[in-house]
Amino acid sequence: MRKRLTLVVLALVALATSASAMAAGSQSASLTIYAAASLTDVFRAFDPAPRYSFAGSNTLETQIRNGAPADLFASAAPLNTQRLYKQGLVQRPVTFTSNRLALIVPSSNPAGITSVYDLKRKPVKLVVAGAAVPVGAYTRTVLRKMGLSSVLSKVVSQETDVRAVTSKVALGQADAGFVYVTDARAVADRVKVVRIPAWAQPRVRYEIAVVSSSTRKAAAQAWVKTLLSARGQAALKEYGFLPLPAG
Amino acid sequence: MNRGRFLTSAVGVGALTLGAPWGATAGAATEDDLAYANFGAATEFLVKDFYAKALKANVFAGTETSALKRGRSCAAQHAKALSDLLVGAGDVAPLEDDFEFEWPAKTFTSKNDALATGVGVLRVLLGAYQTAAATVTEPSHRVLYASLTASVGQQLAELAALNGGRAVEPFPVATDLEAASDALESYLG
Repeated sequence: MRKRLTLVVLALVALATSASAMAAGSQSASLTIYAAASLTDVFRAFDPAPRYSFAGSNTLETQIRNGAPADLFASAAPLNTQRLYKQGLVQRPVTFTSNRLALIVPSSNPAGITSVYDLKRKPVKLVVAGAAVPVGAYTRTVLRKMGLSSVLSKVVSQETDVRAVTSKVALGQADAGFVYVTDARAVADRVKVVRIPAWAQPRVRYEIAVVSSSTRKAAAQAWVKTLLSARGQAALKEYGFLPLPAG
Repeated sequence: MNRGRFLTSAVGVGALTLGAPWGATAGAATEDDLAYANFGAATEFLVKDFYAKALKANVFAGTETSALKRGRSCAAQHAKALSDLLVGAGDVAPLEDDFEFEWPAKTFTSKNDALATGVGVLRVLLGAYQTAAATVTEPSHRVLYASLTASVGQQLAELAALNGGRAVEPFPVATDLEAASDALESYLG
């Protein structure tokens, strides 16, 4: 009898959870989320229902400033969300995850790069994101911290987002490029990762904010809440993102 | 140098140390100079963590813990001085929370293991500070790195003494930043 009762309770819980997920899904289906390119895989896996626009956070910031119909903005750097917040264009942003940078080289590694310092010693074709793109700014921070800014003279292409940097290296069109470790994981079969020392890592923080002009604020806030929940954080962790920073 | 001149210069260096005006002259620092400051600040946090964990491990006698406490205080002050230098140069100084230090599994299970690990880390840091003292461009920063070199050398001697050994070497090996970074990568997380 007790066993049967347990089964009934479990079935009811499952039904309730499923109904709740469906309700959340139907709510989020109406949302338009502008998100940093590095969030492409994890956001689509976490919730395929919303309409997404992935690009460099600086590009998305400009689009929102120009009145793009976004409900949520998830940026790879606080700078972009905070600028919009100060102008009243988004509600107070919250930090939801962090990340680290890595140097990637094609699997064949034609330039023989095994250390970030090799960028200075060897003739290389380097690809980075532009300085206004979060990953581009973080790249310059890494190089400055290591005393290696001079290698920027070896840059053959400046990309508009991290996905473009990743593609160029994965396709062998460049000898090396700076990306997030999460992007490196996505092309792990086509690139090798060269570790950046912990002492040279920038403080990478992702923020998300509800767009002030959104007509679906309640659904947008609910989506943020789910992203910050254990389920959201587990999804981010699964894709290699780091836990919410302390404080 | 006569006695008066010696005292004047000694007082000058003393004042520099006590006032710790490292940030004030940071504008003159080159990127290479600041790379040592970034590495040094992070490693001083690592050293501070080492002393804190060694103190918690209960493998040291009461009298021995004062050496560890002195070392922990030195590491905290070193990290602060290097952070001030970085901030003065318009850079972002690292925070202790930026790191998840990783120590080999048995590091703090015995006095010998703890001391061997601590000595290993301090030797690398000593080598990096020697190179910094010889190569940085800003004179006041050379004074800072020389001072850090001396302090880390003293800590090494204290740890070696706790292990019943000696750490007196005629020419401790200088290490460049890349080699120092590689040597400590597994600890810095």
